[in-house]
Amino acid sequence: MNTFVNQFSTSSALSVIRKAQALVDDDEEFSDAAWGSEAGFGNLAKGVPSFSVPAVHDPTAFLRLHTDDHADPNCRIKIQHGTTTLAFRFQGGVIVAVDSRATAGSYIASGTVKKVIEINPYLLGTMAGGAADCQYWETYLGIQCRLHELRNRERISVAAASKYLSNLVYSYKGMGLSMGTMICGWDKTGPAVFYVDSDGTRLKGDLFSVGSGSTFAYGVLDQGYRWDLTDEEAQELGRRSIYAAGHRDAFSGNTCNLYHVKEDGWRFLGNYDITKMHYEGPGDVPGSAKTGYGYDVRVEGRVSSAAPAVAS
Amino acid sequence: MSIMEYNGGSVIAMVGKGCVAIGSDLRLGNQALTVATNFEKVFPVTDRIYLGMSGLATDVVTLREQFRFRVNMYTIKEERDIEPEAFAHLVSSTLYERRFGPYFIEPVMAGLWKTQKGEHKPYIAAADLIGCLNFAKDFVVAGTASEKLFGVAEGLWEPDLEPEDLFETISQTLLNGVDRDAFSGWGAIIHVITPDKVITRTLKGRMD
Amino acid sequence: MECSFALTGKDYVIVAADTTAARSIVKMKGDEDKIKTLGPHLLMAYSGEPGDTVQFAEYVERNIRLYQIRNLYPLRPASAASWIRRSLADSLRSRSPYSVNLLLGGYDTAAQTPSLYWIDYLGTIATVPFACHGYGSYFALSLLDRYHNPEGSLEEGLETLKRCIDEVAKRLVVSPGKYKVKVVDKDGIREIEL
Repeated sequence: MNTFVNQFSTSSALSVIRKAQALVDDDEEFSDAAWGSEAGFGNLAKGVPSFSVPAVHDPTAFLRLHTDDHADPNCRIKIQHGTTTLAFRFQGGVIVAVDSRATAGSYIASGTVKKVIEINPYLLGTMAGGAADCQYWETYLGIQCRLHELRNRERISVAAASKYLSNLVYSYKGMGLSMGTMICGWDKTGPAVFYVDSDGTRLKGDLFSVGSGSTFAYGVLDQGYRWDLTDEEAQELGRRSIYAAGHRDAFSGNTCNLYHVKEDGWRFLGNYDITKMHYEGPGDVPGSAKTGYGYDVRVEGRVSSAAPAVAS
Repeated sequence: MSIMEYNGGSVIAMVGKGCVAIGSDLRLGNQALTVATNFEKVFPVTDRIYLGMSGLATDVVTLREQFRFRVNMYTIKEERDIEPEAFAHLVSSTLYERRFGPYFIEPVMAGLWKTQKGEHKPYIAAADLIGCLNFAKDFVVAGTASEKLFGVAEGLWEPDLEPEDLFETISQTLLNGVDRDAFSGWGAIIHVITPDKVITRTLKGRMD
Repeated sequence: MECSFALTGKDYVIVAADTTAARSIVKMKGDEDKIKTLGPHLLMAYSGEPGDTVQFAEYVERNIRLYQIRNLYPLRPASAASWIRRSLADSLRSRSPYSVNLLLGGYDTAAQTPSLYWIDYLGTIATVPFACHGYGSYFALSLLDRYHNPEGSLEEGLETLKRCIDEVAKRLVVSPGKYKVKVVDKDGIREIEL
């Protein structure tokens, strides 16, 4: 009797499995090409993603041998490194600012990289370390966040989303994933920023900066930061800090992308050229001093010497 | 990291019609950290010869002093200015003196030499860090951005450029070359050497 | 971790260096003066390999003094910087090089100009309006780009220096606690309590 019910029930565990199997079988009738590119997410229909590994006895060591340019600058595969990203929480929400440079060794491979990943209208993730790792897993996180919404009829909290990512990358620990990211957003608790990296570290905080230029960004950011910054002041501080890192760090620069997260979700504020900011400032934007950020530009005409000017 | 990339920086020289140009970027770095953006790598040797050096910054300064001394001694002894070709060989042999513990610099020279008829002919040369001379008819490059500079120069350079056109060509080559190099840039300086004067201009470049 | 800072202002140079002498993981001393007075208007902050630092600093100190005794006038900052740089550059290619990083701050009485030189153990020299050595430079340089004023009063200069020290204390994992601060201007050299 029971088995008979089970056979035709649409809600029992067995039927769910049956449906899943049908879906997978279905899938196999068509090649990936039939669905267009699934951008690597095609295997998600079958459950957790799975990756093919090199057919050597120690895949992790193999990968490191060919990608670790700290140990060997001539390694065959150069993973893109060098970045400055920052995010901070304040009275008016969250500011997220990043640079846009990608370097492979000393070569500037690109100056137009998008290092902010728009996970969903309320969540942003930043990108430092392996570009592909960040892009893939934060997009994957976006999928999971959407599923959470559908299942629970409410948006996922920033804490939960970042925890999900943290647990996920932790399960790959030691296999060569490289990412240092900030998950930023607005949820029931207000503005939130979480730092998550591929070691498995996850930190809640007000102010973070990640990447090779982070120390330079901190130098400006810490000194200008207050909780009660106005929106304009905060946006200016984000831009100015990324400029500082772009100027002093060889591996950061080109342009700054600025985002502001408020109660109604994130907003992209603009793309600012770092050299233009050096000479002329960010242009006609709220909060800017309308002069160049560059030291020489800022102090032009001022000299330490007290010597009387030589008559020419 | 390579010792030649420790401080960053690049130099380029180009031949024009009866003139030569030489220029460098202005960065002094400590690996990824930019320490100063006023570090010139091109120095006058005589009124018609300039020497540029890229590589380890301490050796750039040491060799500038060394060459100034040797050129002064030459001038006193010979009672005339040194000619570009003789200077190139002076550079080469100074570097080879340290064959087994080299100075970590790659020199680039640009100058004008006087023919029997009194015309001024352009002369450029470069060398590796132990003094292997490379004479070129078009352009020479050195430094962390050298590969990138070769690419741009190959595309932009043409023969018989007048001083102002040569200035434009070398400026565009240098600025666009170093924009693709993480360790060079932060401004540039160009010298165009003509028979009767040297035109020196500091260029605004990308500051990141 | 060792940190030293220096900055110029209207008519003066401030030189600051931390006061810790460390050996391995042990802090051996907490009030070491790592800024030498090389002349009536010349200061040198040194850091680097223990042993080398003091040896080299004293070598420089005695030679600069010898010059003053022989010539009756002191070496001007630019010349002193050049001589010190050359000493380091020559030492670099000797059997046992000195590993010493320097900040040389001086006041040129003839030109009435304060000047600051950044010199590292290789003999690299840079003329700069402000400078740092050690890991502190990764935090302080961007800050100084933002806040340094070449025409600032001494009070403003010390205020900016405090920002640097605070920032390094906040962000550097093993930041030094105390700093010695000295100023050189037209009246000579004096120490300042922060």
